[in-house]
Amino acid sequence: MKQTLNWQIASVKDIKPETADVKSFTLTLPAWMRHRAGQHYDIRLTAEDGYQAQRSYSIASEPEREGEVDITVERINDGEVSTYLHDVLVPGDRIEARGPIGGYFVWEATMDDPLFLIAGGSGVVPLMSMIRHRAAAGAKNPTCLLYSSRNFEDIIYYNELEKLRSSNHGVQVFHTLTRSQPPDWKGYARRLDQEMLKEVAQPLGRSVQVFICGPTLLVEAAANALVKIGIRSDKIRTERFGPTGG
Amino acid sequence: MEEMTDINRELMLDANATAGLLYEIFGTEMTASPMECATCGYESEVGDLLAFTQGPGIVLRCSTCENVVLRIVQTPEAIYLDARGAVYLRLAR
Repeated sequence: MKQTLNWQIASVKDIKPETADVKSFTLTLPAWMRHRAGQHYDIRLTAEDGYQAQRSYSIASEPEREGEVDITVERINDGEVSTYLHDVLVPGDRIEARGPIGGYFVWEATMDDPLFLIAGGSGVVPLMSMIRHRAAAGAKNPTCLLYSSRNFEDIIYYNELEKLRSSNHGVQVFHTLTRSQPPDWKGYARRLDQEMLKEVAQPLGRSVQVFICGPTLLVEAAANALVKIGIRSDKIRTERFGPTGG
Repeated sequence: MEEMTDINRELMLDANATAGLLYEIFGTEMTASPMECATCGYESEVGDLLAFTQGPGIVLRCSTCENVVLRIVQTPEAIYLDARGAVYLRLAR
């Protein structure tokens, strides 16, 4: 299935703050193409002197929405692109984008194995696209999100995840807070470890399909622990992000 | 976790992060393309490679033996691709 991948001029339709450091941007795309949950867009900025900076951002929205996508971006303090998106961009602005890109870290509602999604920080973004796709497509496969954040205030999409969890659509959501916890916190309060992964993964069975997205060290630790508890490595897909300069 | 204080390791990404550039070079989506590592014979998909993107060029390594599979250097005039570390890459028509 060949398609061309060209830069296009996206318009910023809406900007929504998610947490203190994270915003979602709704982009309208003249050459919109339906994405697969987990794919990303490249965003390119060009300065007046011709200097260009380019970053990849995961799509947060479900593929069922036509003509536009949401990308959710964490502001990296000395980042070239994320600081511009956060501090300068306003609705109505135009930016260069190309996508959707990526075929490895993708999930489609037709894949009906139980789904285990593991996120660290803003690594939740492509997994949210999968969760939204699952809801939009009416998929019934048991699905579980294990999401590690530093503090309660850093949890992205908290309200939407709570709604999904309580709506009884077969999505379970487990949070762990590694730095500080609110006084009445009932979730996990430590870094991801083998015991936690085992507890959460066990009800999903051996045929579970796993997607892990987060900082490199979290991804490595989670993937290694899952193999140790008997999940086949070819059922584990990872997407690492590091301090890429944002 | 103790052995992973290596800065290169911390900056390591997956080849997914280079999907746009690979598309530019090969003219097709590459991250789900099958490939074989020339060093250890591990057969996987391009997206499974480990990506080191902080240097002047991009280095993609096998996720199993960690030997170099692809090296990509971009200059204003051209893109250089060293694919010695791969037995093959499959490009979808």
